[in-house]
Amino acid sequence: MAKVPIVLTINGERHEFLAEARKLLSDALREDCHLTGTHIGCEHGVCGACTVWIDGRPGRSCLTFAVQMQGHQVTTIEAIAQDGKLSALQQALHEEHGLQCGFCTPGIVMSCEAWLRDRPEPDEVAVRELLSGNLCRCTGYQNIVSAVLKAARQTRGA
Amino acid sequence: MKPAAFDYHRPQTLGEALELLAELGDEARPLAGGQSLVPMMNMRVARPEHLVDLNDLAELDFIGVTDRAVEIGAMTRHRAVEHSEPVTRSCPILPVVVHTIGHDAIRERGTLGGSLALADPSAQWPLLAVLLDARIELASQSGRRSVAAGAFFTGVFATAAEPGELVVAASFPKLAPGEGWGYRSFTRRLGDFAIVAAAATVSLGPAGRIETLRLTLSGVGDRPVRLDAVTDRFRGRALDAAELGRAVAAAVTLEDDAIAGAPFRRDLTEVLSTEAVNEAAQRARVR
Amino acid sequence: MRDSPLGKPLLRKEDFRFLTGTGRYLDDIEVPRALHAAFVRSPHAHARLHRIDLSRAKAAPGVVAVVGGADVNQWTAPLRMAPPIEGLQPVEVQTLPTEKVRFQGDPVVCIVAADRYLAEDAAELIEIEYEPLPAVASFAAALAPGAPLVDESLSSNLVSHQSFTAGDPARRFAEADRIVEARFSQRRQTHLPIETRGCLAVWDEGRQHLTYHNPNQAPHPLRSTLAARLGLGESQVTVIVPDIGGGFGQKIALYREELTVAALARHLKRPVRWREDRLENLLASSHAREDKARLRAAVTNAGTILALDLELTEDFGAYCFYPANYLARVVAMILTGAYKVKDYRFDVKVALTNKCGNGPMRAPMAITSWVIEGAIDKIARELSLDPIEVRRRNMLRANELPYVTATEQRLEDITPFETMERGLKTIDYAGFRARQAEARVAGRHLGLGVCVVVESTTYGSAFYKAAGIPGSGHEAAWVKVEPSGAVNASVGLMASGQGYETTFAQVVAATIGVDPAQVQLHIGNTDVAPYGMGSRGARGGTAGGSALHLAATEVKEKVLAIAAQLLNLNSPDQLHIEDGAIEWLSDGEWTRTELTLASIARTAYLDPLRLPGGMEPGLEAHRAYDPPPMTFSNATHLCEVEVTTATGTVRILRYVIAEDCGTVLNEMIVEGQQHGATALGIAGALYEALDYDNEGQLRNGTLADYLVPTACEIPNFEIIAMHTPNRRNPIGSKGMAEGGVMGAIGAIGNAVNAALAPLGIEATEQPFSPEYIRSLLR
Repeated sequence: MAKVPIVLTINGERHEFLAEARKLLSDALREDCHLTGTHIGCEHGVCGACTVWIDGRPGRSCLTFAVQMQGHQVTTIEAIAQDGKLSALQQALHEEHGLQCGFCTPGIVMSCEAWLRDRPEPDEVAVRELLSGNLCRCTGYQNIVSAVLKAARQTRGA
Repeated sequence: MKPAAFDYHRPQTLGEALELLAELGDEARPLAGGQSLVPMMNMRVARPEHLVDLNDLAELDFIGVTDRAVEIGAMTRHRAVEHSEPVTRSCPILPVVVHTIGHDAIRERGTLGGSLALADPSAQWPLLAVLLDARIELASQSGRRSVAAGAFFTGVFATAAEPGELVVAASFPKLAPGEGWGYRSFTRRLGDFAIVAAAATVSLGPAGRIETLRLTLSGVGDRPVRLDAVTDRFRGRALDAAELGRAVAAAVTLEDDAIAGAPFRRDLTEVLSTEAVNEAAQRARVR
Repeated sequence: MRDSPLGKPLLRKEDFRFLTGTGRYLDDIEVPRALHAAFVRSPHAHARLHRIDLSRAKAAPGVVAVVGGADVNQWTAPLRMAPPIEGLQPVEVQTLPTEKVRFQGDPVVCIVAADRYLAEDAAELIEIEYEPLPAVASFAAALAPGAPLVDESLSSNLVSHQSFTAGDPARRFAEADRIVEARFSQRRQTHLPIETRGCLAVWDEGRQHLTYHNPNQAPHPLRSTLAARLGLGESQVTVIVPDIGGGFGQKIALYREELTVAALARHLKRPVRWREDRLENLLASSHAREDKARLRAAVTNAGTILALDLELTEDFGAYCFYPANYLARVVAMILTGAYKVKDYRFDVKVALTNKCGNGPMRAPMAITSWVIEGAIDKIARELSLDPIEVRRRNMLRANELPYVTATEQRLEDITPFETMERGLKTIDYAGFRARQAEARVAGRHLGLGVCVVVESTTYGSAFYKAAGIPGSGHEAAWVKVEPSGAVNASVGLMASGQGYETTFAQVVAATIGVDPAQVQLHIGNTDVAPYGMGSRGARGGTAGGSALHLAATEVKEKVLAIAAQLLNLNSPDQLHIEDGAIEWLSDGEWTRTELTLASIARTAYLDPLRLPGGMEPGLEAHRAYDPPPMTFSNATHLCEVEVTTATGTVRILRYVIAEDCGTVLNEMIVEGQQHGATALGIAGALYEALDYDNEGQLRNGTLADYLVPTACEIPNFEIIAMHTPNRRNPIGSKGMAEGGVMGAIGAIGNAVNAALAPLGIEATEQPFSPEYIRSLLR
């Protein structure tokens, strides 16, 4: 139950705080690093709202202990837009109305940005499979799919 | 749903990890990908007093192909297997089935070792291990040993691993030349645990008769079930997948549970066995 | 305005913060020294409470307080739910139970600690002596002779029973050529917003004032209730609603946990916050649906419906946070849908059971469309008629409107027939028979289902009055033009994803004559927004939009009156505002004057002596709007499915929606609402069911087993917009956003049955899980 010092690198910045070993990365990001863009929807790894990148790969922050992330790079939603400029995916979600309440959106952005980095074929089946790890209760997914496809076409064309 | 408190240990070598597990005994659990253990901890269903984090053990993260088998280290992430060209060439059923585990983010973190050690009867790795007659390598402070997959899974979340033993690798014999494979699973949603899944390998002899046939099912017992007793009867003749499916469905012992009733599982058993074996036969090349 | 922004698919203003993770949801709000609450909940569905020992928990690390009902009930008033409605039993709910618990998950003790981890540790140290009692976990069990009482102040578990008769159904049934009977049921579901419930209560001891942060769809009613139950004056409470991560009707009531947290904040004189976890949300927040219907139709051999007789039952759970008749009632009231049926009888029974209490879940009346549309399909099958012909024979046409239904609802400006015909053409209904036959030859089973939806939205005060439910249906708004020409607006609603900041800016901008980018909406703070009834039941666009339109109109008229004065004109009739500038109509042409909204605002605030005689300084208006008792929109949903008989799986091949929801505020946002509502309907039709055993234990209380569909289970929707204005509403709006749920469960219900009918099988219980379909086929 004792708190231990934890040093994390989040979005390239160093964060140092005291926390118990059991503190989940999702909670540490939000409370100790004051990065509240990563949301908590279930704490059992199903909804995907808490998705961040661990060493550049998507992972559920609710299934990771903060202390485990010492020595690794964590990237959160706050790092995606550069100087207030939306990424191609974020812009596409905006244009295609691929968000309503916005609560699942950061998790979706983190899941899809990683996929888009490989400049994949814009294939609807593949996009829906990718999105199956992120639950959305508002949109019915259709506009999210069209946004991801739009971004995929753009990144492939670029 | 916050986990109960634990002491956290982060060994840098396998030796250190084994020493810790021996010393801490029952109250310690190894932490691999965390995709199954941490949800259970968050729900306080699992509450180890000590967590031994294996994620720094690079020596357990490997994929190697020998002339006989695919050797995979326990800390290899599902995603690495999914995208491995050598594995795709020598044992193509592995990446295809591993691709069905959960979702991308789960496969980035989840590991072979974690999956085998957890022994969830509905999971993909235990099914593959039993199907392919894999051997599971265990290590402890007293040494190493390997156990045949058929003997390794002993019940729901139960294995033959002794206290202090850690799954460190698994060896999957390659498919024989011309051996075909098939996999069919039934889930309600993409990425869910299969209610029933069937995995099969088939090799065909002269005139297209069945030479070897292996069929393993999940969802019909407390561990993956190999149906040799049924499938052996179909060797030496032309494949009648429908008849085989019926025979398998009649042979399995089923109970109702919270996920599905026995009649429905039996329906699925028949359909999926038929389809998986058909798929395997179609992939098989007559020798 | 020449190019009005109203209706345009303008991109949303709120997106930037949501896309970049800079939104501000409840849990994002940092308040120093805040304590965290956790609840200990009953593991039993029904049990007496005996000894409760809090002492070990109180001594646990980081714990500041541990309370049960014995404490909290002293600090708060109970909830009394006793509207004067015939057949509805009055009930009273204490803040926390002291005598017995009524469902698995019933909160018993609240722990407040330095963080949630420590609070949960302490929770394990609470000792509660439960004496388990027999539980009732179904409607049937609840009403069986000798059933244990869920609420011992009632004489039975039948908490509500209403009957109604219009015309002479008995006679019609006697005269009928045939009586067709059909059954329908839905399982228990839950709203499951991705953001769970929660609250943050900050008590200012110096000002004796409570600031209460809560994701809530109806901030002012919440404030009133919270103040009353805490024994505070209404001026002592401010409700501030942050961004909401989905509501769907779950975030309206003042829940007992939330009230407990507020009371604790005041008692401890420290901020207290609570964030529900997902297991709690599934088990103990609010549940919904679990309706069963039996409809009997008296018909002629030609397919004319002479009369309808509905029996409806609803399993309401253990506690009433809403009047128990409230949800089921609407099902019965609008059952006749788009059809001419004057002889109608219904009987609606609602029972208490030992499960989590019900709340309105997006389209609480959803089953109604499946019932009527499913019955029509069955009528057609039994009479060997085309189901579309039966619809045509009985459906209201434009020249038959306005039409007063058997339950005295006035239907006007609806277009069910037009949407149905257009939908049928789009999905190629005519060619379907051939497609279906061709597929049969290949051993495949296709079905096409149609569901014509008449969606009730936007209740007015007259509706509540007639129903005996206390409360108003009005909505209130203010619009202000600031000295710089910036426009601020507010309304008593609260967004949970509907895009109000964008759509209402469009309404105000269109009315005044400015760019929507210039209009800023301020909602959710009860000190700022006017008292309104909140967002629920698809009323936002119609009630709120209209109130904003009225307020904006008043402001615009003042602006033009000032402009006329400044331009030395006799009247403002030849003036309008276009893109923020005053234009003057002369010789049929609009010309810009040198006056702008900004310059007029500056005059109004800072140089009032130049205003017309008698006019007050400033430029703002407050208006309220009370809609007609009910407003209706309509749509037709059509879907083609394939049923794989070997496994019972249903796959949606094509899904078409033809919709008329009146004047649309933003067509992009309206489509988004259609997608979301229809997806939720599909979820209930094919996937979602809370699975309770006979002892009232929930067997699938995690997201691994309560099946919320993913992107792989929801199809693309083809939407045909067929909007015609509502002449009874200032902006022509009809409301929408729940009809999709109604249409989906009806269209899928009918499509699956169309596929199975050739096999002699009828599916009557949703969700149509593969296991259920196989059980019918086996």
